[in-house]
Amino acid sequence: MEGQQYQGELLAYLQSTMRAIEAACTSIQMHTNPAAAEATILSLSRSPQPYKACKFIMENSQLANARFQAAGALRDAAIREWSFLSSDDRNNLINFCLNFVFQHAGSPEGYVQAKVSSVAAQLLKRGWLEFSVSEKERFFYQVNQAILGSHGLQVQFVSINFLESLVSEFSPTTSSAMGLPREFIEQCRKSIELDYLKVFYCWTRDAALGVAARIIESDSGTDEVKVCTAALRFMLQIMTWEFRYSSNSVKNINIFSDAIRPDNTLLNRTECIVVQPGPAWREVLLSSGHAIWLVKLYSALRQKFSRDGFWIDCPIAVAARKVILQFCSLAGTVFPSDGGRLHEHHLLQLLSGVIKWIDPPDAVSKEIESGKSSSELLDGCRALYAMATVTTPSTFDKLLKSMRPYGTLMLFSNLMCEVLKVLMTKESDEETWSWEARDILLDTWTAILTTSSGSSENATLPPEGVHAAASVFLLIVESELKGACASVFNDDSASDYLHASISAMDERLASYALIARAATDVTVPLLTSLFNDRLSRLHQGRGIVDPTETMEELYSLLLLIGHVIADEGEGETPLVPNAIQRHFLDYVEAEKHPVVVLSSSVIRFAEQSLDPEARSSIFSPRLMEAIIWFLARWALSYLMSPEEYKEANHDSGLGSTNQIQSYGSKGIILKFFSEYGNGKTVLDIIVRVCATTLLSYPGENFLQGLTCCQLLHALVRQKNICVHLVELESWRDLGHTFANEKILFMLNASHQKSLAQTFILSTAGVKNSDTANQYVRNVTSHMTTYLAELCDKRDLRSIAEQPDIILLVTCLLERLRGAAGACEPRIQKSLYEMGLSVLKAILVLLEIYKHESAVVYLLLKFVVDWVDGQITHLEAQETSIVVDFCMRLLQLYSSLNIGKISLSTSSALLSDAETDKCKDLRALLQLLSGLCSKDLVDFSSDSSDTPTTNISQVVFYGLHIVTPLISLELLKYPKLCHDYFSLLSHMLEVYPEMVGQLNGEAFTRVLQTLDFGLHHQDVDVVSMCLRALKALASYHYKETTCGRPGLGSQASSGSHPTGELKGGILSQFLRSLLHLLLFENYSSDLVGVAADALFPLILCEQGLYQTLGNELIQGQVNPNFRSRLSNAFYALTSANQLSSTLDRINCQRFRKNLTAFLIEVRGFMRTM
Amino acid sequence: MSDEEHHFESKADAGASKTYPQQAGTIRKNGYIVIKNRPCKVVEVSTSKTGKHGHAKCHFVAIDIFNGKKLEDIVPSSHNCDVPHVNRTDYQLIDISEDGFVSLLTETGGTKDDLRLPTDETLLAQIKDGFAEGKDLVVTVMSSMGEEQICALKDIGPK
Repeated sequence: MEGQQYQGELLAYLQSTMRAIEAACTSIQMHTNPAAAEATILSLSRSPQPYKACKFIMENSQLANARFQAAGALRDAAIREWSFLSSDDRNNLINFCLNFVFQHAGSPEGYVQAKVSSVAAQLLKRGWLEFSVSEKERFFYQVNQAILGSHGLQVQFVSINFLESLVSEFSPTTSSAMGLPREFIEQCRKSIELDYLKVFYCWTRDAALGVAARIIESDSGTDEVKVCTAALRFMLQIMTWEFRYSSNSVKNINIFSDAIRPDNTLLNRTECIVVQPGPAWREVLLSSGHAIWLVKLYSALRQKFSRDGFWIDCPIAVAARKVILQFCSLAGTVFPSDGGRLHEHHLLQLLSGVIKWIDPPDAVSKEIESGKSSSELLDGCRALYAMATVTTPSTFDKLLKSMRPYGTLMLFSNLMCEVLKVLMTKESDEETWSWEARDILLDTWTAILTTSSGSSENATLPPEGVHAAASVFLLIVESELKGACASVFNDDSASDYLHASISAMDERLASYALIARAATDVTVPLLTSLFNDRLSRLHQGRGIVDPTETMEELYSLLLLIGHVIADEGEGETPLVPNAIQRHFLDYVEAEKHPVVVLSSSVIRFAEQSLDPEARSSIFSPRLMEAIIWFLARWALSYLMSPEEYKEANHDSGLGSTNQIQSYGSKGIILKFFSEYGNGKTVLDIIVRVCATTLLSYPGENFLQGLTCCQLLHALVRQKNICVHLVELESWRDLGHTFANEKILFMLNASHQKSLAQTFILSTAGVKNSDTANQYVRNVTSHMTTYLAELCDKRDLRSIAEQPDIILLVTCLLERLRGAAGACEPRIQKSLYEMGLSVLKAILVLLEIYKHESAVVYLLLKFVVDWVDGQITHLEAQETSIVVDFCMRLLQLYSSLNIGKISLSTSSALLSDAETDKCKDLRALLQLLSGLCSKDLVDFSSDSSDTPTTNISQVVFYGLHIVTPLISLELLKYPKLCHDYFSLLSHMLEVYPEMVGQLNGEAFTRVLQTLDFGLHHQDVDVVSMCLRALKALASYHYKETTCGRPGLGSQASSGSHPTGELKGGILSQFLRSLLHLLLFENYSSDLVGVAADALFPLILCEQGLYQTLGNELIQGQVNPNFRSRLSNAFYALTSANQLSSTLDRINCQRFRKNLTAFLIEVRGFMRTM
Repeated sequence: MSDEEHHFESKADAGASKTYPQQAGTIRKNGYIVIKNRPCKVVEVSTSKTGKHGHAKCHFVAIDIFNGKKLEDIVPSSHNCDVPHVNRTDYQLIDISEDGFVSLLTETGGTKDDLRLPTDETLLAQIKDGFAEGKDLVVTVMSSMGEEQICALKDIGPK
């Protein structure tokens, strides 16, 4: 009776739950009160052990959505409660899901099936390391049966889908979040990779074999196609798995594995994942004729459906092509070390299929233009790309020779030419298939032409390849020039788009340059003749025809030439490209060397811009931009190269012919442009061209930016150029203009900063240190003198607000900043004096310009830059002057700004004011960090008799001044927040002993900030706070165990005199950290750092820890949980032989314990 | 009333030119500019070219410093723009009168009683609340091209 009644009640309960969930689902769909509906659904997944209800809904509800939600709830609850489900329960849940999927295989609501099968996959993964082998076998037996097709096609389909979700669950990048540690995920991944992937692969392969045969034979069979597509997709998924454990890590001497290049992701737009599954897969993938089967399958299907043009884009065709692509990128130890024979054979098989997609290129492209889908051609290009990535150029070329009279490279270059021709006929800017094909093919060139070492570039390219490169480059230049002409009269509304595509353009030019360098003998003379041709066209047409088109062509040519003959010098001095060094060996006369001829043409052209008349008619700002860019790039490799310098010095006794032989073609070029050759003349031209852009192109900010930041910087980067630079008349003139003429104050202020920096950096060329310092004084005296004089004016307050004075002050401050930023040990002295002479002015100006945020920021930034450059070199007395000044600056800034509110009706202006404040504060924090570095690095020559400044004390004091200015509102700016917490945590970590000496107010503020930071959403901020906390607690613990006061009375429990901080600060932090760990959301990356902080806290506050633990245990109502919690607490402090010393080993043990503790209890603590 | 206002306007300008010419290319974000005869603060500068091989021009987006309205202008970057002379003076707040005027203490010890409180509710509240709490307040008055407005407020401690 009772049993029946219970059953009845249960049924009623289940039905009412089902109705509630169904109602909620409907209301979400109808958009009536979705919040309440979501809460209902959430309550199901949050309730303890909701499995019966979930299963009931899944089996009985007529509403697909409700079944979907119930599956989700089942998953959430099971993952949460996993650790205390019995092993039977676990098995049952998984079996239930699997059976559900199989039983409802034919159901029309595919999304419910997909959800349930992903739930099964997730649960299986959650228990993966606990299930025994036989348990797993039992699950997989069912799946295997289903895949074999014994339960019909639909079951076959869903079971393949189940495997797909299972494998994606095990791949770390696609797995769903379960709050498990990285190690767990890694172990699962290893286990499945070694023991199951191959098995799964074989199952699906067999399934595919079966259905594919039927598809080809019969005419109908949509279900077969569905299964086959799923199987192919799953095979693709496995082929894209990132194999780690099964491939041999030992380097094989197979030529194919040697040919694999590191991913130069910067150059490549197309992704090519090299698949390296290792020798265990050889049997499955290679020996069984699998690849040929795939190729045949695709061809058979292709033939069968040749009438349906749309078939190419059907899922099954797409999937099959993708699998074939993956086979093309197969590499590594999966191939035996047989000299690459098997690999070659394998690629040949694939190529025999792929070639039908791309050959003959002109016919294929015509078909596409008349409406055929382009995806086959694009995949063909990708296959070539993959093959080029895994082979050497000569092997790549040889592949096709067994089928055709010509090699692969020939086909490849024909294909590329065809694509370029199609591109040229298109006027529109739209991305068409030819764009995409061109990008893939360019990447293929890059793959062929770059080798891993980079040294043997081009060495292995067969002669056909060189020829192909030359003809492709010819077409490339033609199409670029055509594109340039066409784009001239484009409306400038497209300029936004152009800006966005600049980096894409750069990548493209880099691959063009690679191709050109493969055939320099042809391409360099070609570029020279094209350049000269356009030049003469420009001159002939002067005043008669509109030169714009020719100008744009020259612009494109300059970019191309720059890329071809020189490398980019990001951060280091680039060498003359290898391809150019190795070619043109038969040129003995420098004047006739093609690269010299080409460079000289461009330089002569640049020189013409000095003539005012030519400038106004020919040299548009845009053309000048290309010239300046070219000169900057070219000068780094060729102008007075230090290499030549060294060699010339070294070989001065030997004849020049000897030198040429030993340094090849490079020697001739470098000698030509060296200081002994035409170097000085060229340098003079460059400087005068620079002066022209700065003086004669008013308001052309971009051009002037290029001149200041790229070209001039490129020059002063090399000492041997500086040596001649400072001697040049033209350079002295430019310096004089900079200091005295108004016109250079018209430059954008940031460019003036860069110019000042350039002048200071050029002192590297001054031999004598005294002269160098004098040079610096000469350059900077106009800045310091003017500022000092300005501050002495009696009517300063009234004239300071005039716009022209503000502009002047801004410019001078930027110049000072530039000079301060160029600090070198040799000229440190004069730059110190420079700063010293304006210190007073800075304080005056800070007060005068308190409302002019732009000036205030510059003042602060100047001090930051100056202190940064100086601090490590300063002697004790100088340090105290600088530190003293910094503190006065902080105080003045604080007194002017604290409590200030800006009032404006415009929200944009208000938020601007806030941003300005934030930038100021960041500068102040940077200043303090700069001061900190004095304690770490110090080059001063001090003897100990002068009293040194206590830097930590100063910085803490500075923080005390700055902190009140930083409101919670301002901490929402991520950069400020980050700077602030990194400085604070650095101070607390390095100088915990200072904290005890802080006064009450400062002390409280520091701690409140820490507490705020602990609950910040940014992981970095939290971990910085945790590190600070660790340092504080460890310090206190170590000191108190030795009987010293540690952090003093403020830290320990109960004895605080004000009584406000009950229980001392460490106990507060213990409390809040425990709360954070148990009940709040945080990234699992933080657990390690949190353990490091928690351990010393527990040691400091043993008593409180016991109490808190007991409170939590007593709070548990469920006796099962209570005992688990108390066991977990016990294990936390006693497992792994944890002892109460704060050494490294103990901290590591505690880390382990805490991780285990959290996994054990967080699940139920958070939900109860 | 209007006569009186006019009178004060000319006084505020005495001796100083209202605007200065400055090359458009040198005007940066956060600087000032006159657009449609209004003093503005620049919030955005972008440059473009007139045709591919033409000269650069600057596109300014700026906000009227008095009424907060957004204004835009395009100027060839080598041409001159007008830059307003923006003056800011601090006064101690003595009193807030019933009719919406404030009474300010000048540096010379006199009072300045011709400034209205802001009309915007939140700004008004910020001033009134602070004053009511008995804080010692300094207001910054911004003036440019013949107009004046309170632009900032600073609390210099309790009275």
